[in-house]
Amino acid sequence: MGRLARGALAHRMRLVRTASAVALAVSLVAGTFVLTDTIGSALHQATTSGEDIDLVVRATSAFTPQGGAVSERERVPDSLLATVMAVPGVREAWGSLTGYAEVVGAAADRPAIGTAWSPGGAMVSGRAPTSPGEVVIDSSIAAQQGLSLGDQVKILVQGAVEEFTITGLRKVNDYLASSQAMFDLQTAQRVLGQLGTLDAIPVRAEPGVSAETMRARIGDVLPERYEVVTFDQSAKEAEESWSRALGFLTAALLMFAAVALLVGAFLIFNTFSILVAQRTRELGLLRAMGASRAQVTGSVLVEALAVGLVASVAGVVLGMGAAKGLLALMRVVGFDLPDVSVVFRPRTAAAGLVCGVVVTLVAALGPARRATRISPVAAITGVSADAGGSPARRLAWGGGVTLAGVAVLLAGLYGEMSRPLPAIGLGAAGLLVGVAMLLPLIARPAAHLLGRPLVRLCGQPALLGRENAMRNPRRTAATAAAAMIGITLVGVVAILAASMKASATRSITETLRADFVVAPRPIPGTAAGLPTQVADKLRRTPGVATVSQIRGGQWGLEGRAQTLLAVDPATVTEMHELDTVSAAAARRLDDRSVLVRENVAARNGWKVGDQVPMTFARTGTRELRLAATFSTSTVRSDYVVSLGAYKANYAQQLDTFVDVRLAPGVTLEAGRAALTAALADFGTAEIRDRTQVLDASRRQVDTLLLPVTALLALSVLIALLGITNTLALSISERTRELGLLRAVGMARSQLRSMVRAEAMIISCLGALLGVGVAAFFGWALVTAMGDLGVTDLVFPTGQLAGLVALATAAGMVAGVLPARRAARQGVLDAVAAE
Amino acid sequence: MTMLLRSPADLGLDLEAEVAPAARVVDAVKVYGKGDAAVRALDGVNVDFERGRFTAIMGPSGSGKSTLLHCVAGLDTLTYGSACIGDVDLGRLDDRRLTRLRRDRIGFVFQAFNLLPTLTAAENITLPLALAGKKPDQQWLDLIIDVVGLRDRLGHRPAELSGGQQQRVAVARSLVTRPEIIFADEPTGNLDSRSGGELLRFLRLAVDEFGQTIVMVTHDPVAAAKTDRIVFLADGRVVDELHAPTPDSVVDRLKRLH
Repeated sequence: MGRLARGALAHRMRLVRTASAVALAVSLVAGTFVLTDTIGSALHQATTSGEDIDLVVRATSAFTPQGGAVSERERVPDSLLATVMAVPGVREAWGSLTGYAEVVGAAADRPAIGTAWSPGGAMVSGRAPTSPGEVVIDSSIAAQQGLSLGDQVKILVQGAVEEFTITGLRKVNDYLASSQAMFDLQTAQRVLGQLGTLDAIPVRAEPGVSAETMRARIGDVLPERYEVVTFDQSAKEAEESWSRALGFLTAALLMFAAVALLVGAFLIFNTFSILVAQRTRELGLLRAMGASRAQVTGSVLVEALAVGLVASVAGVVLGMGAAKGLLALMRVVGFDLPDVSVVFRPRTAAAGLVCGVVVTLVAALGPARRATRISPVAAITGVSADAGGSPARRLAWGGGVTLAGVAVLLAGLYGEMSRPLPAIGLGAAGLLVGVAMLLPLIARPAAHLLGRPLVRLCGQPALLGRENAMRNPRRTAATAAAAMIGITLVGVVAILAASMKASATRSITETLRADFVVAPRPIPGTAAGLPTQVADKLRRTPGVATVSQIRGGQWGLEGRAQTLLAVDPATVTEMHELDTVSAAAARRLDDRSVLVRENVAARNGWKVGDQVPMTFARTGTRELRLAATFSTSTVRSDYVVSLGAYKANYAQQLDTFVDVRLAPGVTLEAGRAALTAALADFGTAEIRDRTQVLDASRRQVDTLLLPVTALLALSVLIALLGITNTLALSISERTRELGLLRAVGMARSQLRSMVRAEAMIISCLGALLGVGVAAFFGWALVTAMGDLGVTDLVFPTGQLAGLVALATAAGMVAGVLPARRAARQGVLDAVAAE
Repeated sequence: MTMLLRSPADLGLDLEAEVAPAARVVDAVKVYGKGDAAVRALDGVNVDFERGRFTAIMGPSGSGKSTLLHCVAGLDTLTYGSACIGDVDLGRLDDRRLTRLRRDRIGFVFQAFNLLPTLTAAENITLPLALAGKKPDQQWLDLIIDVVGLRDRLGHRPAELSGGQQQRVAVARSLVTRPEIIFADEPTGNLDSRSGGELLRFLRLAVDEFGQTIVMVTHDPVAAAKTDRIVFLADGRVVDELHAPTPDSVVDRLKRLH
């Protein structure tokens, strides 16, 4: 067997390209793991480092929100602090308190956070705040503002802007809270609006007393609804909360990796098919000399194994680089991470190797089986008896897989599955594979048609290129299919982006009646909000008729995190034009009721008047009456409660949006001027008119989908590699033909044109099919996403046509190397070969 | 005599053009490999191929006959010496000019693999013209097709043609550009004797009827006997020549060579 494999390994160079396709796909797998491990480690550092704390006393929570959202725990009365401090073994305990406090003039891209003073942490200079007029601020903010010890600093707090004296500068370790202002406890309680309460009580134990012992001791003195946990556990919880959010990221990235692997699999399949075809004589000779079928299969599979292994190892190494690229991509989306060293775990290598090797072996299995069908006679005739299956069988199988894919996809989109994503993914993959299976049936006529303009343009070389693209429909189809997959997904993203933008545009232009929307400046990594004073100030601003606040929050339904919107029932319909049913529903909302989207209510079996059990982190499970259902897509959440209900159940009161309507007769210019003046002190508040709201929502679509496109581009790159590979293999197969062409007078430039024409026809075929399949996917996805506010299906024809043109041009680039190689071929090879 | 002497210059030029060979090699040396492994495939060959004549090159295996053909046809380059087509020294041409020369002035018929499998017989015949971006002369094309008897096979691809038919397509293709010279490398090597005989008849016809110049490498005495002149090669040198050969005289000479 080893000897047989050695023959196979002789074709080293042609396997390098195949291997690099696998390597690219594997690098995405490895990169995903490296990235998530790295982020995980960064979070671990962020949640566990810094303060030297042993235990935390806090209120129990009925529900843990996802993605590091601001803790929605009930607060701790500050009287508990004395109780805790009295417990023997407690060396130190203090009240921790976090809220909104904005250093006026500080960079707007930082979260505005105010806290109570806590011991520990890296003091750069000065001392702790001890009186109401004192504050410690972050050293980087001080540097930025040109402030030093003893200076006065303006800070926007609960009441208004207040002046404080800087008594100390501190370097804050937590990258999400790098603009902290720290006050003494009483001041913090006042300015953060938490008189008499604390977020939690961190505790340090006496040396020699274990955290577990202390946990038991403190636990004994705590009243009901309060608990004490070790710092390790609370850090772990924080980390887990983030990990869950990261889980989504990991899943999304692995999906892209799966796409890349699928494309790579097509490439491997094609390469090995061609290699087996080229080695017909060799394999026939082996058979004639007595090699068994199993040995022949083995020789092909050993080769595949070698390619898979080499490629996977390279891919895992590349993955380290890929992780850095992904980190950069995340920065584009606004998820900035501090500088951390890249984390590489053995699991990453294992996953990369297994994926790469298994995909390579599975893809090579078909060609390996075909190799066994080579008869010993082939050694003499050089002709493989295999004609590649009957068209009828291909039609039946390909059609079946396609239809099954469509069925599963539609079931995932429209069926009421609890986890529809796997079905959607599986259906999409089935559809793509099915179309790829059907492709050989139309590859010939399609290549003929697509080549027509090229033939008109470049004459004979293009004609020959077209003939080459048509001569082996299966090979052309497999190569084009790889391109198709990448283009399909890029196309779907383009369609989604266009549809989302169009829907947002329509929803904003048709239903937004507010003149201005005040929103917090987007701050990377935080779910920030506006303090209630923004709305209060706006209400007192001359020229403003109505102000309506909207808040967002998480809650739990049977343990699963859900979102809700909180609105002011009295004013919300003034700002948002809802359909009559939804508007009527909004008016029926009171502080003990909830509005639920029609189909969500139906799925849960709720009827109007039923009690909906909603679990809030702060208040536990509350039953809210289902006041009415709504169906409008303008509302971007399935659940709506009143601001009153929100106040009753959430600890943090921050507005996501504040809608403003001007009084009649006030011009937009005058209104903007008034608003700008009123909000001068609120650095994080951004005033947007309707056009700006529109721009912002479009930008949001772009920032969301740009990295997705970038990741999908990798699969297109792999497909292009496939075109290069197929052509290179075809060229080495056609040595004599090329020599003959040169002998009868084909110029080198013509030869290059011929190869490039073939490449362009193949990539154009793949791109056109891809756009076609993308149109179907786009339609299916958009119609299924009506609930999420995507109401308009838009095909960006210009973009899609551009995509086809780009792919075709890229195909030509992919053909450059093989073309050059073909042109280098000596004329004599035609005569000399064999 | 006096008439001839009245314009000696013109007359001289005409005469020279008349006698100038279609192709010629002078002191041709071809070395393959380097150092100890070097092989002199051609070792000082001088030979002219006259216009309008059918010349055969014969010799035992390894005598350099194919190398000679390749070098004089511009498929390969000489190590020393020169090869000319008409008055053009091939050694001075770059690849682009050489390609154009092959396309416009030379025809080829190889032993096998003469045709592109993706093109029909008709498309294969006109391939050199298509590469040049020229339209075929329909009358000439019709004549060639009828001569080689392929009228009813024009739409077929090579895989659907017999070996003899394939070689006839190759001959038609080599004639289509009206080249100055056609090089044939064992054109009957893969054919049965009947198809081979037919193919030779076409080549002979091309020389007799169209005044075509043909140079053919062969080791078949019967094929060689159909030519006007045979050049014998051994060990990279011209060792003998035979005019107006017959099968018997060819066999005789070959026996003497061995």
